[in-house]
Amino acid sequence: MSVPLSQMWTVATYVLKQRLRRNPRYPLVLMLEPLFRCNLACAGCGKIQYPGHILRKHLSVEQCLAAVEECGAPMVSIPGGEPLMYPEIGPLVAELVARRKYVYLCTNAILLKEKLEEGLFTPSKYLSFSVHMDGLREEHDEAVCREGVYDQAVEGIRAALRRGFRVTTNTTLFDGASAIRMQMFFDEMMDLGVEGMMLSPGYSYSKAPDQEHFLRRQKTHELFSKMLSNPKKRWKFNQSPLFLQFLMGKWDFECTPWGNPTYNMFGWQRPCYLLQEGYAATFKELMETTRWEGYGHRSGNEKCKDCMVHCGYEPTAVNTTFASWKGFKATVEATLTGRL
Amino acid sequence: MAQDERPLEGWDPGPIEGAALAEAVERAFDYRGDVTLVRRAGGELVGYLFNRDADAAPPFVQLFAASGGDPVTIPYADIRSIRFTGRDTAAGNSYAAWLRSREAAKAAGSARGA
Repeated sequence: MSVPLSQMWTVATYVLKQRLRRNPRYPLVLMLEPLFRCNLACAGCGKIQYPGHILRKHLSVEQCLAAVEECGAPMVSIPGGEPLMYPEIGPLVAELVARRKYVYLCTNAILLKEKLEEGLFTPSKYLSFSVHMDGLREEHDEAVCREGVYDQAVEGIRAALRRGFRVTTNTTLFDGASAIRMQMFFDEMMDLGVEGMMLSPGYSYSKAPDQEHFLRRQKTHELFSKMLSNPKKRWKFNQSPLFLQFLMGKWDFECTPWGNPTYNMFGWQRPCYLLQEGYAATFKELMETTRWEGYGHRSGNEKCKDCMVHCGYEPTAVNTTFASWKGFKATVEATLTGRL
Repeated sequence: MAQDERPLEGWDPGPIEGAALAEAVERAFDYRGDVTLVRRAGGELVGYLFNRDADAAPPFVQLFAASGGDPVTIPYADIRSIRFTGRDTAAGNSYAAWLRSREAAKAAGSARGA
């Protein structure tokens, strides 16, 4: 695993504090969406289908920082839309780094080289560019519905690494993904020099153009088992090893929908990053008034039935590490040996 | 007024109240285009309905007006009708279009190489 020690320590102490306080629900990563505008229209994405006047809007830095303070999570993920299209992305990231938040700036990297050349960012252990890479060139360009994006992303990654930035990749897997091709992709990303990779099965957004290629549970287990049952030592994953083991079918987790709360121009999204069932005006209202029992694999909610996405299950995996000796032992073993 | 399978774009349910209004609000909340909200007191507001709370006292909807500005909150009781006037941005199948264009490009490339 490739999460830096300082980040591991920050997360571990945060989780232990929450457990000592007997806080049953706490956020781990704030998903901060400053805008919905994007320079791609990926087949599996249901995040950007809005009227033009909504796509032209964005949050102010002050609104973003207020949400970060209100939420209190130690990590902030900035997806979107494409966050490099957010006009205040430089100042926002600088403010978050100054607050010692671990920031994952989730980008398709089309604009990354250009923004780095503008001097918009300063390398920091708190800042990681999390570059969207859905596989090798052919698979990635198909997933983002545009030729040439893979090469642009690679160029962006190289430019960021040359300047001393932390770079990770985030990969969404769909039905039809080849385990062998994905293993080749892992090799290629490691050759590029990224710090670690993040993997997740996709979610069947009701508004996504492609409704046919989402992985169901059994297929997810099969694919991840094939890909990861004998992982190369050099493959580094920037996520909880228990989450990857869950995807391989080795753990039976329930969703933690409040683990990665989402804030955007509409407010605090209920109940999670993937489902839009309404908005709360404050984080407190979100936590206290959402009917959490109606969500998750075992809830019987059809929308949650096949979901195994990182934003709901990675918080469960992290919590499991600190909730039981079995979880702690499995995490330590996987971290030290690289075996899953 | 049954709209279960039909596209919502262009739908005008006419004056509504009670359960019919609540259902139209739910559909408008799920709709990824602008709607025109007709007020009981007169006047219309065109915008994107991004939130609603049927359990609040009183129940309300929230919109971003297409003309700009901060979000507007309107009680259900003030709504006479909701017309689905904007383009549904989630309609259509851009993935299928992408596949078709890619296959066409491949075929054209093969033909050139032959």
